Amino acid sequence: MLMTVTMLAPLAIIVVYSLLTRGAYGGVELPWTIENFMRLWDPVYGIIFLRSFWIAAVATALCLVLGFPLAMFIAGSGPRKNLYLSLVILPFWTSFLIRTYAWMFLLRDTGILNSALQALHIIREPLPLLYNDGAVILGLVYGFLPFMVLPLYATLERLEPSLLEAAADLGARPWRALVSVTLPLCAPGIRAGAILVFVPCLGTYLTSDLLGGSKTVLIGNLVQNQFTASRDWPFGAALSLALMAIAMVLLFTARNRGEEIL
Amino acid sequence: MNQGAKRGLAIYAVFAYAFLHVPLLILAVFSFNSSRFAVWESFSLQWYRAVANDSNLIESSVNSLIIAVVATVAATVIGTLAAYGLWKRGSAWISGSMYLSLVTPEIVTGASLLALFQWVFRFAHLRLGMHTVILAHVGFSIAYVVVVVLARLRSYDRTLEEAALDLGATEFGAFYRVTLPYLVPAIAAAAMLAFTVSIDDYVITSLVAGVDSQTLPMVIYAMARRGVNPALNAVSTLVVFGLGMLIMLSERFRKA
Amino acid sequence: MNRRTFLLGTTATAVACSRAPRLNIFNWSDYVAPDTIPSFEREFGIRVRYGTYESVPEMLAKVMTGNSGWDVVFPSAEYIQPMRDMGLLARLNHAWLPNLSNLDRQFQQPPWDPGLEWCVPYMHGATGIVYQKSLGWTPRAWSDLWDARLSGKLTMLDDPPEVFAACLKTLGYSLNSGDPSQLRAAQQRALAQKPLVRAYLNAEVRDQLVAGDVAAAEAWAVTAAQAIAAGSGKLAFSFPSEGFPRYADNVAILRESSRREGAHHFIDYLLRPRVAAAIVETTRTAACNGAAQQYLPEALRSDPVLYPSADILVRGEWFAPQSAASQRLRDRLWTEIKT
Repeated sequence: MLMTVTMLAPLAIIVVYSLLTRGAYGGVELPWTIENFMRLWDPVYGIIFLRSFWIAAVATALCLVLGFPLAMFIAGSGPRKNLYLSLVILPFWTSFLIRTYAWMFLLRDTGILNSALQALHIIREPLPLLYNDGAVILGLVYGFLPFMVLPLYATLERLEPSLLEAAADLGARPWRALVSVTLPLCAPGIRAGAILVFVPCLGTYLTSDLLGGSKTVLIGNLVQNQFTASRDWPFGAALSLALMAIAMVLLFTARNRGEEIL
Repeated sequence: MNQGAKRGLAIYAVFAYAFLHVPLLILAVFSFNSSRFAVWESFSLQWYRAVANDSNLIESSVNSLIIAVVATVAATVIGTLAAYGLWKRGSAWISGSMYLSLVTPEIVTGASLLALFQWVFRFAHLRLGMHTVILAHVGFSIAYVVVVVLARLRSYDRTLEEAALDLGATEFGAFYRVTLPYLVPAIAAAAMLAFTVSIDDYVITSLVAGVDSQTLPMVIYAMARRGVNPALNAVSTLVVFGLGMLIMLSERFRKA
Repeated sequence: MNRRTFLLGTTATAVACSRAPRLNIFNWSDYVAPDTIPSFEREFGIRVRYGTYESVPEMLAKVMTGNSGWDVVFPSAEYIQPMRDMGLLARLNHAWLPNLSNLDRQFQQPPWDPGLEWCVPYMHGATGIVYQKSLGWTPRAWSDLWDARLSGKLTMLDDPPEVFAACLKTLGYSLNSGDPSQLRAAQQRALAQKPLVRAYLNAEVRDQLVAGDVAAAEAWAVTAAQAIAAGSGKLAFSFPSEGFPRYADNVAILRESSRREGAHHFIDYLLRPRVAAAIVETTRTAACNGAAQQYLPEALRSDPVLYPSADILVRGEWFAPQSAASQRLRDRLWTEIKT
């Protein structure tokens, strides 16, 4: 019960704030208004939402594709399981910021990647690897991969090997067994991983600021701006509610045959 | 799984681990570079010396560790119990709050927690500090723990517990002896996730931290904002090295 | 370790430490010399807790609630009036600030606080253009940053007031303009420039300039001075001919502070010429402290970037606070630029 209260109280405050007016210099004050929600209908925000969803979706898909084989490897690696698992987690105990800077270091015009490619005469001019959407997605995938690998591992690890043996006995090739047997059984893990990656990607702003050169505005940037530079907490609250509502809708539609992720 | 597939997976794993670790290796290599820039000059320990002399850095690292450990323990315990409760009985309130917690952008969680704390503090004569940071971290970590543990519970056979009950175990005993061992890998994974999330959090922490509770990400962000600083490389190398050692040690203890 | 033990432990330590008087100072990062705080602590026997922030809104979010725990903060000039109106600042007692006369003449009665009742100017600077000498031509005006030759190697500040300032100046308007038609015209300029812009960067651009990734950048004078010093003579700075923004950071005491006397001691300490000079030598900013000039090395004292001549300075315009409606419009236009 206490837990529910602590979760819901901040939300209640957000709802209240979204209905208030921006104070002259920030903060909130009366009167009550729904103006903040009316502002949301502006098409420019629609574009921002769509772009953010697109980037988050691509990043999530990449995490799944890249993370699944890795999770399979770890689950099947016998006694060294925990070691391999820790090796996945280890990079992520350094600061997210540092890792992002590592990528900036690598991808810059005068960075290692470009210098190496030029030295090998593969390219003449440095490639613009940084400050675009691709770099942002790379940063997101790099940052959220363990959030996909861990839940996948948790479900894969307890898969009954006898089920796969049964599939083999019935004549299924390994690939077929994978698709028809393993994947459906991992569905809870996949859904858990997808949420843990997709949702934070939606709200990210540091990555797009640093790796994207702050050239595009995503929802995360927009919300963060409202709470800091613009000091328009009510509008920020309204934006957040819109974001949360859409994400909740997605989560609910992702439920399969009444089975919930939570 | 046949041998060919196994080998293929292993090769893939090598590439995957390289992808994960190479940026860090590069950081580590350049942490020994005497020059600030991406061109190798000569071997030097100056950045490590700078880190050792920076009391701000050290203090904030200690803070981060304390917060992460306390928050992880609390969140794992509460989260596991919550997941178990959800699995057995289901509760719209709790699962609803979990959803909300996951779906809220960090900046919003942070700002609303700040507002909440300030409101509470009017009556309680407290200030922002380590305790508010820990509370905030526990708050947002619980949902992660629940998701991971619940995912594993979903593929668990309910009847095992019932069998235990039939054989005379108490409800708690059934949980403790039968279900919990099954959950251990998931709990371990969830704890690691919670620790990671806590030790790396910048947005929420920076908003609810008080005068005395600067954490490592906050210091790093400030340093990084001002451009490339090899002292950061040194810090990250130290962190990775230190934690790597810890993991090796814990593996040793487990085997012994 | 459970929470109760932990809290008990912290309280005990706090009580133990609280025997010495304390002062909590919240400043921009990189804005003091290594010895500034320690020698203050030694001389006055006050224990300092020093925190840093990267932007004023960040500081305001903590301070606005009136319960942040900080005593001394460093707001920029255009925030002094809003903070005063919000009741966040404490009035200064000049009797406790004997060194006030050390301030440079132009800062003794600044436009944002003529009586110096609420703040004391600390460091100032301007925004201009840093460029690689290897370009072959000299960008002398903001409009030079729209030159197609810079495509892909140009950065602007990731700061809406600064970018609007540059655009408004190319159109000949005041950089504090709240006029919707002027702001929209400025936005059109920004949109026209965007394809040329490599990224919107603040202080991080310094290393990219030194490394050669960036050919020209809108930058603060302090960033420029640091880049030029590190750039082995390859970089130069120009104050745009159409006019440029000037900024000043001030030190102020929060009204919530119960340690006013200690805070005043600190401000007075910062006003000492040698202390200010030491800070300038470390941070390469321009101090508002006129008496400090004589203690600076010749190179810094005559640095044209930090201390430009009067005829250049006259082209500068101070940032002023925006009305709520104007702020709203600027935010909206900025979002559109970035989308």
